[in-house]
Amino acid sequence: MIQGGPDRSARPEVPRSPFWGFVLRRLLLGLIVLILVSIVIFLATQALPGDAARAILGRNATPDSLKALREQLHLNQPLIVQYLTWAGGLLHGDAGMSLAAQEPVTRLVSDRIVNSAFLVLCAGVISIPLSIVIGAYAALWRDKPFDVIVSLATLVFAALPEFVVGVALVILFATTVVQLFPAVSMITPGAPPWSQPQAIVLPTLTLVLAVTPYVARIMRASMIEVLESDYVEMARLKGLPEWIVIRRHALPNALGPTFQVIALNLAYLAGGVIVVEFVFNYAGIGGALRDAVAARDLPVIQALAMLIAGLYVVLNLLADIGTILVTPRLRTRL
Amino acid sequence: MEENSSRPLRDLRAPITRRELLIGAGVVAGGLTVGGLLAACGPSSGTTTGGSSTPRRGGNFRVGVTGGGSKDFIDGQNIDTAPDTARMIATFETLLIYDENYNLTTDGLAESVTQDNPTQWTIRLKQGIEFTNGKTLSADDVIFSLQRILTPGLGLFGHSGLSKSVDPNGIKKMDDRTVRLSLIQPDSTIDAQLGQYYNGIVQVGYDKYPAPQIGTGPFKLASFTVGQQSTHTRNPNYWRSGQPYFDQVTVIDFPDSTAQVNALLAGQVDAITGIPFAQISTVKAHSGLAVLESPTGSWLPICMAIDMPPFTDVRVRQAFKLIADRPAIVAQALSGHGTIGNDMYSPFDPDYASDLPQRHQDLEQAKSLLKAAGQDGLVFDFHTTNNDAGMVDQALVFAQQAKGAGITLNVKNDPNYYGDQYLKLALSVDDWNTRSYLPQVAIGSLATSPFNATHWPPAGSDFEKLYKQAVAEVDKAKRHEIIHAMQVEEYNTGGNIIAFFRNFVDGYSTKVSGLRASRGTLQLDWYGHGYRTIWFNS
Repeated sequence: MIQGGPDRSARPEVPRSPFWGFVLRRLLLGLIVLILVSIVIFLATQALPGDAARAILGRNATPDSLKALREQLHLNQPLIVQYLTWAGGLLHGDAGMSLAAQEPVTRLVSDRIVNSAFLVLCAGVISIPLSIVIGAYAALWRDKPFDVIVSLATLVFAALPEFVVGVALVILFATTVVQLFPAVSMITPGAPPWSQPQAIVLPTLTLVLAVTPYVARIMRASMIEVLESDYVEMARLKGLPEWIVIRRHALPNALGPTFQVIALNLAYLAGGVIVVEFVFNYAGIGGALRDAVAARDLPVIQALAMLIAGLYVVLNLLADIGTILVTPRLRTRL
Repeated sequence: MEENSSRPLRDLRAPITRRELLIGAGVVAGGLTVGGLLAACGPSSGTTTGGSSTPRRGGNFRVGVTGGGSKDFIDGQNIDTAPDTARMIATFETLLIYDENYNLTTDGLAESVTQDNPTQWTIRLKQGIEFTNGKTLSADDVIFSLQRILTPGLGLFGHSGLSKSVDPNGIKKMDDRTVRLSLIQPDSTIDAQLGQYYNGIVQVGYDKYPAPQIGTGPFKLASFTVGQQSTHTRNPNYWRSGQPYFDQVTVIDFPDSTAQVNALLAGQVDAITGIPFAQISTVKAHSGLAVLESPTGSWLPICMAIDMPPFTDVRVRQAFKLIADRPAIVAQALSGHGTIGNDMYSPFDPDYASDLPQRHQDLEQAKSLLKAAGQDGLVFDFHTTNNDAGMVDQALVFAQQAKGAGITLNVKNDPNYYGDQYLKLALSVDDWNTRSYLPQVAIGSLATSPFNATHWPPAGSDFEKLYKQAVAEVDKAKRHEIIHAMQVEEYNTGGNIIAFFRNFVDGYSTKVSGLRASRGTLQLDWYGHGYRTIWFNS
């Protein structure tokens, strides 16, 4: 079979055993990565040279409070026991007690996780198809006005920090020019974020503007590369209609590299939306992490760092699987 | 060291800081004497905001406050962050209250608080004040409240201010409305301590949130989400007739003043505390918004450690005080939002030495003093940190001015300043809030003071002896003389350069009436005195 050639049987005939073997291998690798990450997080927070309890309490340290905190963090036990206690707790969904709020970490961050996840989902659902379409058309109409405008616009938005974009949107749509949407997203605590859709319009828009340029530019670049490839040339020479050439031969091969960028951007959105949460006072995990670092709240820092690391692993895995599924070359090589 | 010194990101402007409140400002009741140089400090008394003068009932007042986070809590006698304060004063009240001129009044829960002799005070409660659960306020509640503050393990805010002189076992119930305090040592500042907003009166058996928050205040706690927001509903049985006017108060945490100002501009909140200087004109220009500017007694001194070279030589300290061009520092470091200082703190204290001449820049005199001390051409490190608006700017402006006297100051802006080096530096900037003289001396100017950056007083000085005399002195006139002598000593040879006192600058919607520019320790006119003296005019 010619690589990327007319391949009607491609989708139903995913070679079962090599593909699932690949997924299994990647899952195991992901698990090992997570274990390594958990060790690094643990060492970097709790087991650093010096006394973690003293670092947390700072000037307020009294012998009594130090003793109580050491017991709460199990600092009196050997390092390996501390680690296993912590990791074992995580596996059971018990991330310990927040030192600052004196509440279970899971209760403290669960609402914020839902908020962040919903925001990322909204941003992803809009920005991924949008950027793929923009990138693909820019490549198809290379050097035409649309492409020039897209190139310029994506370059500008990629260069602008989210902070600037967010503030500009607030000025445009919330405070100074027109007052269409709320300037800050004060979601009633305890209520799900989708109950106040107007509150997430501007944060979502900011994130869409932050992510779309990168993905669109990658999509455009890889689409151009594919359009110039031999198999597209071949398909055209065979006399296939242009839309079939694009849909069946060009697009799937161009999506591969784009998936990787999308995965990285989504993972970035999950942990890196702190600036957006700041601008819009959105109660998500970025703000919780910043707060925890300021308060030296180890259990919260550890739990959120693990969550974000886990998300990176899962999204990368999904991106790899997606790349393989859409790229005939890779699929046949398994 | 202040509570907000550990906050890592940009917004370091929250005005209520832990250390500022540790001991607590206080002023002995009496007439306020404002000297000519401080005349500009006076609040524009009588000017209330907004249109209608008859208070209207109803509405949900939303206030945005920065400085909070996962450490937020509610306790009638304790605070850590600025939102904690905004929440506490909705529900809890004190025995005595400061008015807009920073004079102590009996407008609180007590009918009178009197010093019978140097070591005995008597508190007499007003009649018929009810808690939100219907129970009448009695002497037992006052005793419980004071003993709770004095319990060492609880770490309550007012503890250090009261525990030195009040004996927890020496608090006696005389009758249902009368309590007598027997002191361990003479203390004339007990009334000032009882007027501190964090020394609230709670009911017998009280505990902090999540236990029920029962107070005598104008609002009852309805909901609280740590780091996000709290709601407070009107107390229908409030003892001050007619008040409060709002049906509900919502206190909202903001991690950053950008979002806070935007929320005000978009009409999502009705008032915010602490506008960054750069944003003041934006708020002013926006229709339907106004700015409340209140003079305070808070100060950012340049501290010279008197036992560390080159400041061991009093001539060097005097030369540095003559280097400061105070109006220029106010203009450049505070964008003009402050009043010039005269190297003495506690400007609202009736005993403030306003008769001492205002210092002006005198570079020639400074140069000759430095030359006499053998320190001309000095090159030295000057430490500061971005803990509060103006701290870094003041250091930079002063360093520039010092060049005029041939001195090179290398400004070191250290984010970890309050953790590592604080109190160990020869030349540094510190951060204090409004407080009256004797409590301020106790916390910052004695060998036993926890936050003494100037290492005052010098060996052989009678300053500490004078302090003890002043605290024990019941006669106001005699105490005034002693305090004056102490201030003269600090003015002439002390280690503080106090170039200015800052203003609080808050923003609010013109829908809100009743806010006054008042002297004091809390923003937004003490949050509208627990949100009871302000209302929506439309």
